[in-house]
Amino acid sequence: MINTDGFWRDVLLFIAALAVVHIVLKATVFKKLKRPWKAADISINMMIVLGILFLFYRVYVTVEIPGGGLYLILNGIFGSIVQVCVLALATTGIVLIFKTSTTTNFAQGMIATVAAFSAAKISTLVSAQFPDMNMTYVVLIAMFTGAMFSFILGVFIDVFIIRKSKYPTPVGKQMITMGLVLVFTGLIPIVFGTLPLTVQKLSYADNIQFTIGDSPLKYNITMHSIYALGITIVLLVTLFSLLRFTKWGLGVRATASNELVASMMGVNTRVITAMSWAIAGLLGGVAAVIYAPISGSLQVSMMIPTQVNGFLAAILGSFTSFAGPLVSTILIPILTNLMSIVTSTWQNAVVYIIILVIVLVKPSGLFGKQIAKKV
Amino acid sequence: MTYKSEMKQLRKQRWHSVKNHPYFGFLIIVFLMFAVQLLRLMGVDVPVAVLRAFGSTMIFTIIALGFSILLGYGGLASLGTAGFVGLGAYFVVYFTNQLGLSIFLTIIAVVIGAIILGTVVGFISLRIEGMYLAIITLGLSEILNEVFKRATDITGGTTGEGIDGIILFKNVLSLSHNTIFIFISIFLFFIMVLTMNIMKSPTGRALLAMRNSSSAAQAMGVSIFRYRLLAFIVSTVYAMLAGVLYMSYWSFTIPSTWTLGFSLNILAAVIVGGSQSIYGIILGTFMIFGLDLAVFKQIDFFVNNPAITIVLNGVLIIVVVMFYPGGLIRLVQTLGVKLKILIQKLKKKWRDYKYGIDAE
Amino acid sequence: MALTLNNLFVLWYERKVKNHQTQLDFQQSILPIRLQEMEAIKTETLDRLSLKKAQLLLPHDLDKTVKSEYAQEVYNEAINKVEQKFYWRNRALNQTILRQKEKSQDWSLEEPKYLQKQKELDEKKKAALANVEEEFQVLRAKAASINPIEIEKKIQAKMTAVEERFVAKAKAMTEKANKNIAHHKALLERYHKILLDINKNKETYALDEKVVLKLEDLSMHFGGLKAVDQLSFEVKEGEIFGLIGPNGAGKTTVFNCITRFYRPTGGKMYFRNNLNEVVKLNDIVVHNIIKEGIVRTFQNVEMIWELNVTENLLVAAHTLYRSTFFGHVLNSRLLRREEIVMRSKVAKILEDLDLSAYAYSYPLGLPYGILKKIELARTLMVNPKLIILDEPAAGLNDAETENLAETIKKIQKEYNATIFLVEHDMGLVMNICDTVCAVSFGKKLAIGTPKEIQSSKAVRDAYLGGE
Repeated sequence: MINTDGFWRDVLLFIAALAVVHIVLKATVFKKLKRPWKAADISINMMIVLGILFLFYRVYVTVEIPGGGLYLILNGIFGSIVQVCVLALATTGIVLIFKTSTTTNFAQGMIATVAAFSAAKISTLVSAQFPDMNMTYVVLIAMFTGAMFSFILGVFIDVFIIRKSKYPTPVGKQMITMGLVLVFTGLIPIVFGTLPLTVQKLSYADNIQFTIGDSPLKYNITMHSIYALGITIVLLVTLFSLLRFTKWGLGVRATASNELVASMMGVNTRVITAMSWAIAGLLGGVAAVIYAPISGSLQVSMMIPTQVNGFLAAILGSFTSFAGPLVSTILIPILTNLMSIVTSTWQNAVVYIIILVIVLVKPSGLFGKQIAKKV
Repeated sequence: MTYKSEMKQLRKQRWHSVKNHPYFGFLIIVFLMFAVQLLRLMGVDVPVAVLRAFGSTMIFTIIALGFSILLGYGGLASLGTAGFVGLGAYFVVYFTNQLGLSIFLTIIAVVIGAIILGTVVGFISLRIEGMYLAIITLGLSEILNEVFKRATDITGGTTGEGIDGIILFKNVLSLSHNTIFIFISIFLFFIMVLTMNIMKSPTGRALLAMRNSSSAAQAMGVSIFRYRLLAFIVSTVYAMLAGVLYMSYWSFTIPSTWTLGFSLNILAAVIVGGSQSIYGIILGTFMIFGLDLAVFKQIDFFVNNPAITIVLNGVLIIVVVMFYPGGLIRLVQTLGVKLKILIQKLKKKWRDYKYGIDAE
Repeated sequence: MALTLNNLFVLWYERKVKNHQTQLDFQQSILPIRLQEMEAIKTETLDRLSLKKAQLLLPHDLDKTVKSEYAQEVYNEAINKVEQKFYWRNRALNQTILRQKEKSQDWSLEEPKYLQKQKELDEKKKAALANVEEEFQVLRAKAASINPIEIEKKIQAKMTAVEERFVAKAKAMTEKANKNIAHHKALLERYHKILLDINKNKETYALDEKVVLKLEDLSMHFGGLKAVDQLSFEVKEGEIFGLIGPNGAGKTTVFNCITRFYRPTGGKMYFRNNLNEVVKLNDIVVHNIIKEGIVRTFQNVEMIWELNVTENLLVAAHTLYRSTFFGHVLNSRLLRREEIVMRSKVAKILEDLDLSAYAYSYPLGLPYGILKKIELARTLMVNPKLIILDEPAAGLNDAETENLAETIKKIQKEYNATIFLVEHDMGLVMNICDTVCAVSFGKKLAIGTPKEIQSSKAVRDAYLGGE
């Protein structure tokens, strides 16, 4: 049914062809333009988009049943909704912190894990107290309290650790967040005990099933993923409108471009950074609670893959924008899901290599701009 | 009579020049580590845990030295250490179990592999921003861990894989821990000397220049990208070599060792000790790995709560980064200077008491 | 630059030429240092030999009358040692007496005990002195068995041998070095010729004989802001060229374009490099600019705070090292020699600029004027053709500025460098510059001698605001 023969050969050949076309264009056409590097930039972007489209196409072709390719791809997309939501939330948190504190927060995943653990504790408490309550409400309450917990944790980290540091360099802050990972890794089993904890799904209602056209193949969307999508969209839309239309958002953007000038212009950068740590914590917390039920029982290292993917998405889309990482967060889980059709063992490695290749040809990220440094 | 005293003076001078030779301290440290093993050989009942603690300290010091070139001199952080060390260890497994090749060939292969891997990963991640290195290597480490778990033919999967003994020439030689210990000590000495050379050479200065002011470094003709790449490759080579030593010492490896926690512990060792000083790194590595094995594992409280030591390591990183960027070795040095001044003062006081105050 | 075969050849030979040039410099500067080193070793050996002679002759010299300085010294030392020892013991005793005096109620009772002790000490001293004298007697007794003339002859022979050996060594070394120098010179000329041959059909850039740097319609736009707009001027060899203008006129941006920290939006920059070839700066990467002979300083001093002043200067010599990374790892002989050469060069430059006192101090905490001067010294490490100074007088007081002006003039004369500076301090600019160019909003207002600029109406308008 699925014939993966020659998959890699075709992909590699296509990439090689793209590279050749790009080099030829660069050597002949672009040279005569006024700003050759700009044209080369656009051409590389086109090549990347073409490459990814070809990957989709090649997966589409592997299935030999009529309509099967579309089914495989669409189901792959539907199946990765939860991952996309989780990744989008986590990545937005990482980018927010990077913008205001110029550091990559390695503790993001751990803060989120703490939220998931506390949510699990609270949900067991609530369901013991009110056994008749609807499961969705219980999880929502747990999610809210967990997120609040990580919100406070975020503020705490910024105010009492990052800001109290005597010599705040970007690398130093990075080290501090790495240290925090160790601290949380040790503290979680001490605080929450070693018994296995779980968080329930948002809904156990029947999956939505439908067909397209006259194909007999049934498409499948879980209710959990629909709830997750809803929560994510609400959160992100709120956040982006806050960033776009409120004074706080203006402050964040000002702090992101130059902290010193912003503080001199009367922006309270301390509150801004503390708030962005808090919001990043909150986003991570929600992400962890959504992610927890599909990963089984809670584990200390459960958010590490998500965090790694979040970082990679942020690099892929460039730390300088919010939209770029979001696009990457949609791309990465879907690619992973599609690749698992071709190779069921190495899909993560393959996606990682794809990301590396893209970063290799476009170091500033898909949506990034190179900024001239003041000397 | 006088000729003798002249010769004595000369001998004193020579001893002084030996004592102040930059490599002398390394020799002392390696000898101290070695002395523990020697005591054991002579029949003194040194606990095995202490021995293992010193063995691990020596092996992990090599990783930490590479990391110090990267972090203390290049100003870059990598989280792929665990993956690289694991890869080195599995290289030994593959070369010994499947190919049956000598350990020396393995070392050569590992060095070449490390250079290739470091070049590729560094080339991709270091072109824009130094900060990206930590992220890309973190991803690489996770992927490598997955490979260790899933490539069961070579790595034995999640249950781990061992070797019967390292192959010196052609036939399998099951060397005892004692012999490997000697091998490791000598190796550590040379690695320390080489690292010292790098740190004091124009390369070390160029790296420091880059870390302090990238624009000044560029204006002085230091290619930022090239030197970052160099630092990363050096740290990769050190990490994979340490993997080889690890495998020869423990003869067993399991994927769950090579996780993010290990990388962070190495980072802790480098930061806590002092990222620019070789002695600091030895101190840090001993605090993070040696103390854990030699002391904490002997105390019931820590055996029952293994998480406490992890928390301690994390807190140490945070506190040192926040308040003592030079690491604990800086603290030790300042204390040493203060002690010296105190001793001088006491001496003067005693002299004044005994001989009376000079009437100047 | 397209990657054609011809260009590859050019690159290959250019590399060779540069390599031999650095080798030549290295060989020329290492020779006197090594000769000096050898001289030092020679004197040390000779000293040791004469000491040995004196030691051998000691019994003879001490016999009856003291015949040599060394013998006198030895004798005095032995006596002195005893004297010193008893001086301290005496002092300690006196101190004890003082203390006891304060403590005791009835001193007269205890006094005899201490007087006795003092007496004992005196006797001991006498005995010790006698002992020393006795030892010397034993030594003198040996004098009969010593033949001073023979010893003298023997040592003298050894000394001449040593001297001859060192002379021969020095000669050999000089010869070898000269041979090396000649070899590199020949190769340099050869490759230079080949390079010229190849370059016949290479795109060459015309530049007047005396011009070092030429900007043609240089533009740099940041988004909509035109920081530099169609700027062109020429800098002549050996002059001090000043670029002035109000704040935000784009002066520093010009520097950043020349040193390739920025990629200019338009325009061309040409430079006559160390090999007297004209290069297009647009094609060169930022860290290779220094290899062409352009060095710069920064507006706010960019020191390497973790290195001391000498090492800061050594970083500037980074491009001059021939030893590779593996040489550095193994601390090779070449590297150690290069280090000696570079360090002596550093010492010379520091002495020239009156900075020797700070050679081993760390820049953190030094006064700002000194830091600026260290940055200046740093530019001199590579024998630059063009030194670019970005606001050298910013943040300095009047005395420091005067000192700086002198230093800049001295550098121009003694190091044969062209100097190109941006400055706000009009006094400094008018005092030292040969040519001044005034810019405003990225556009050139006027260029000429300081006097001409002072009388220019356009410049006055830009500074004081037009009517």
